[in-house]
Amino acid sequence: MSRAPVRAWVGLALLLGLGGLSLAAGRLFPEALAGTCPLGMDLQRPDRTVCELAFGGLWVSLAVGLTAGALSTLLGLGVAAVARLLGGAVEQAVLRGVDAVFALPDVLVVMVLQLAGQSLVDSGQGAGLGPFGLMVTSLALVGWAGPARMFRDRLLTLESQEYVAAARALGGGRAHVLRVHLWPALRPFVLAVFLSRLPTAILTESTVSFFGIARMEPMSLGRYLGTSYAALVYEGGSRVVLPAWGLLVLLVLGASLASQALTRGAGQAPRGR
Amino acid sequence: MSPVVSRLLRQLVLVPVVACASYFLMAALPLTQESDAKRQVSAELAASYRRDLGLGEPWGFLRPWEKLWRGERLGTSAQGVTGDELLRKLSGSVGVGLVALPLALTWALGFALLRTRWRRGRWAVLGDAVPALAFGTPVFIPALLLAPAVVERGSLLPELSAALVISVWPGIFLGTLVGDALEAELSRDYVRTARAKGLGAGAVLRRHVLPNVWPALLDAVTPVATALLAGSFAAERVFGLPYFGQLYVLAVLNKQVAVVVVATTTFAGVLVLVSLAVEWMRWWLDPRSREVRA
Repeated sequence: MSRAPVRAWVGLALLLGLGGLSLAAGRLFPEALAGTCPLGMDLQRPDRTVCELAFGGLWVSLAVGLTAGALSTLLGLGVAAVARLLGGAVEQAVLRGVDAVFALPDVLVVMVLQLAGQSLVDSGQGAGLGPFGLMVTSLALVGWAGPARMFRDRLLTLESQEYVAAARALGGGRAHVLRVHLWPALRPFVLAVFLSRLPTAILTESTVSFFGIARMEPMSLGRYLGTSYAALVYEGGSRVVLPAWGLLVLLVLGASLASQALTRGAGQAPRGR
Repeated sequence: MSPVVSRLLRQLVLVPVVACASYFLMAALPLTQESDAKRQVSAELAASYRRDLGLGEPWGFLRPWEKLWRGERLGTSAQGVTGDELLRKLSGSVGVGLVALPLALTWALGFALLRTRWRRGRWAVLGDAVPALAFGTPVFIPALLLAPAVVERGSLLPELSAALVISVWPGIFLGTLVGDALEAELSRDYVRTARAKGLGAGAVLRRHVLPNVWPALLDAVTPVATALLAGSFAAERVFGLPYFGQLYVLAVLNKQVAVVVVATTTFAGVLVLVSLAVEWMRWWLDPRSREVRA
């Protein structure tokens, strides 16, 4: 087996292992975490241990990241496919829109979308979205631009291949070429792009939740640190912050390892944060 | 149209797009009143919402800017902002970002040099691990670790600490990028030719390699500026700095919608200014950017 797929498997195992353990420990066997936690009780909630809150919040962060990453990848794929199918001025206009969305920092736009979404939910027009759904929707609406640009560039590269030129010469239309010839070549790249969105989604959610803007329940890692932040600032909380930091880094490392390995396999590196 | 002008126009159009998008999004919000929802907004806030956004008026979307221009306060009296205060807060955040920039460049240089050295030895894995560690660390984590020393004991300057914590990821990102670009350029034929003709290593680097590395560095400046400004939101919150990031977070938390519209557009304006400066530097440094492409 080549080196790249091994790294991909290590990354995926890290992600799924951590997420599965956190879900099991946080939801199914919370007493196991409470009874064996070496980090002591939480500063704000003396009835809960740091392990329960930090490790128990890991799966929430991961679930938000996975769902938002999947949604933004699908949105980006749809936008790129439509842009390539229509071509010409429409494609250029779509690309300018993509650049405009891509230029603004995710955290800032997610905060604005959270404000808008929460106002809709509070007035009963939230279409049944809870805090989880609201956060996933906000992250997806912000995160589609990067994947759209990557997919559009990848499609352009694939379209320059000889087999695509041959298919066109034989009378294949744009939709036919996309469905029959380009999609199979694009598929491995889709997974790599999805995994490359995962760290960004997790970190953005953590930051917005830390500010107290998202009302995630059960608490994600960011929200946990955000609700305790006054105590952490004044009493010092390295025993709380360091484990949460370690968990975030492991999540991001798992997703990055898998994404980079799969991208190398697909022949192109995804861009930027 | 020349490519430079085309790129400039493409950047400039972002400001009105963001201004209109944020205005119409905020203007469409159904802010719930005390009588009809569980999560209410105060009567004062609801009044400022209608007054500041000029709802239902022609050219209403210019109302927040008109009020700022006249020196009036946007939002409620306690949590609103005037044009002067906005500029002061923005200059505070930009100042923190400007202090963070040389720090980021220092991190970048140090990491690029270390990465080149590690690549040849048994520490090669650190060249990949450090960027992953930096990327996986949201700004509020190092800020929280430094916070007791800054806020409680007062042993460090809050602005300097904020600059320090927000410079880490951009520095490592720049270092990775510059290190890779340098390595790629140093392995090219023109470098070998220059060395074979007797030019010293420093002169080759200065005259031949660096001009080819500048474009990669310039490409990274805009994302780095975005990261520095966005990172300052978390750092200002933790260290209690009363600047633009703090204003923005509090405006969102307190539903000061007119302040959100103005602050979002201002933020986009700052990013566009940075992009324009980068385009100008690219035009000056890289002759290829001045060529008109067919």
